[in-house]
Amino acid sequence: MAIIECKNVCKNFGEKVALDHVSLEIPEGKIFGLLGPNGAGKTTLIRIINRITIPTDGEVWFNGRPITQADVEKIGYMPEERGLYRKMKVGDQAMYLAQLKGMSARDAQQALKEWFVRFGIQSWWDKKVEELSKGMAQKLQFITTVVHKPSLMILDEPFSGFDPVNAEIIRQEILRLKEEGATIILSTHNMESVEELCDDIALINKARLVITGGVEEIRRKYGNNNVELVWTDADGRHTEVLPRETDGASTLRTYLDKEGVQINSYKELMPRMNDIFIKLVTEGEE
Amino acid sequence: MNWRTTGIIISREYLNKVKKKSFIWTTLLVPILVAGLTIGLMAVMMNTKEKVKNIAVVDESGIVVPYMTDSETIHYQVLEGIPVDSVKVRLADMGFDGVLSIGALDEAEKTVPADLFSPKPFGMELVDNINARINRAVEDYRIASYNIEGLDQILKDVKANVRLHSYTISDSGEEKVSEAGVYSILSMVLGIFLFMFITLFGSMVMSSVIEEKSSRVVEVLVSSVKATELMFGKIIGIALVALTQFLLWIVLSVAIISIGGAAIGFDKLAGGNPTEMASTMGVDAEQLEAAAQAADEGGIATVLTTLTNLPWGQLIGLFLVYFIFGYLLYASMFAAIGSAVENEGDTQQLQLPLTIPLMLAYIIALYAFRAPDSSIAFWGSIIPFTSPIVMISRLPFGVPAWELILSIVLLIGTFVLLAWASAKIYKVGILMFGKKSTWKDLWKWFKQK
Repeated sequence: MAIIECKNVCKNFGEKVALDHVSLEIPEGKIFGLLGPNGAGKTTLIRIINRITIPTDGEVWFNGRPITQADVEKIGYMPEERGLYRKMKVGDQAMYLAQLKGMSARDAQQALKEWFVRFGIQSWWDKKVEELSKGMAQKLQFITTVVHKPSLMILDEPFSGFDPVNAEIIRQEILRLKEEGATIILSTHNMESVEELCDDIALINKARLVITGGVEEIRRKYGNNNVELVWTDADGRHTEVLPRETDGASTLRTYLDKEGVQINSYKELMPRMNDIFIKLVTEGEE
Repeated sequence: MNWRTTGIIISREYLNKVKKKSFIWTTLLVPILVAGLTIGLMAVMMNTKEKVKNIAVVDESGIVVPYMTDSETIHYQVLEGIPVDSVKVRLADMGFDGVLSIGALDEAEKTVPADLFSPKPFGMELVDNINARINRAVEDYRIASYNIEGLDQILKDVKANVRLHSYTISDSGEEKVSEAGVYSILSMVLGIFLFMFITLFGSMVMSSVIEEKSSRVVEVLVSSVKATELMFGKIIGIALVALTQFLLWIVLSVAIISIGGAAIGFDKLAGGNPTEMASTMGVDAEQLEAAAQAADEGGIATVLTTLTNLPWGQLIGLFLVYFIFGYLLYASMFAAIGSAVENEGDTQQLQLPLTIPLMLAYIIALYAFRAPDSSIAFWGSIIPFTSPIVMISRLPFGVPAWELILSIVLLIGTFVLLAWASAKIYKVGILMFGKKSTWKDLWKWFKQK
């Protein structure tokens, strides 16, 4: 079932068209990658789903019915342009944001303490936000995005500004939240993380939806259906690309039977998401 | 409007501002400053007496001398047998500030020539004092020349001491003691206060909007609450800060003035000493008794009576109405402007259309006490952008009910209209990053659906 359905969503800013009849479904319990070059309309679409902006035309449905203002309590949003009140204390700030999402003060306090323990940052509670480093502030932002247990999380460039250690922590948390049943919309330019994390994607370019579907499906579609075999013999390492239709088992067997040959890998050759992205976007230029 | 979340926004905005050091300091320091100035001014008024002047009197007529009795600030010394001209050239040596020369009595006209010589010009008070004494001497001389029997008694009987009292009459015919000076000062103070409050707290709203935008916290906020809730929560929160400060200022000022006033003997000033007052006014002893009563009602006493007779409930009520709606009107516009910029430095050009009417209102308000019913004051108090400040400064002089109602209705109507327009601009503006906005952009945002 789709948690979000965009039905012919259009958004104009004066003369400028930011979204042109975008229709897509975001399946529940999956990680959904929202891709596109800068200025394509991703942020506008995210803001429409969040009800920050009202679409010029079209509708957004949430859990099978038109979305309402009350539904925003079930959404957690970490925008790309994110920040915190610099002069506020960490704990007060987190409490404030959690309560705005509909939590009672008591629930918010309890849930926040748990998250602070999980991230090992209990000692920050009374610190001022301006004393935090950028990475620390990012952790706090992540917590405030997810503390109210939203069923849908929208993370816009969640890894930007994180060092590799913290990025990994966030990656693990995203997977854990998915495990617990949450849906995550991930908007990013980092194609590696798309391949790694996303189940489905949508690519938006110049206000239009270019493609949407499962990641594997799309990669297969844009691949040339080859497999790659790497083996080593007395002469060294060899790579051979074979058509997918080849009977894999018999091919492998021929190599295995050869004297002094060691198979290193045998895998389906999939195009990188990065290449698909560039291909689709540059095609749009022409 | 979701009141739960709006309430959370209001309380954060309020607590955040009230807990600030700058708020605590201004709340404490302003009343101390105001009270200090008031008490200081009173003390100065009580203690600045003109230095005693020594005046030599050369009287050839012989009728003036008995009237030249010393007053608080003038010491007369009668010189006999010394020609005026020789005194004139030796004034400083003889320790005189001036010499009064009364010529020989003109029997036919029943008058005396009188001249006053001094190296430095004298103040009005002293000249009037001397003049009054000479006139009295001549008048008494003339009356005496009629040789009326029992004259002293007659004079005592006819002595009049009429003092003009001003009253204001309400429609119901109720009369109240009034004093134009008190109204003028009150009018100015009210106008200045309202101007200060609107400017101060209006720009506080703007800074708060800019802070959320430049720290990039705003997008997270509007994903939880509607932009209009955020804007009005902020405006209401800061309005409560203003009211808190206002209340604390009044309480603290009154407390400090009454304690400080008691310490320096405020009551002495308020009561006044009739004898002292009378003598400086050049009134002779005979008049004192009659004057005493009048003096009690005059001066500071009249001020106090006028003050207590003012319709304070109405004044404070209307001050709050004009403050609240004037503030709301300007605060929503300030919020719209704040939404268009990312740092305070960029606001100047955008602010101009707001600061001009505010300054204009301030100038008209300062003019209002001189001509509270002039057409400029009238229109200034009707047009919503200037009406809060101008009307409040016209108020002490009395304003017809229809003008008040018209002005308040227009003010509220304009507020509603502009709040709606500002909210539209604000909604778009807070999410616009990286570009310096102009009024043209604001207009574009306003038209956006």
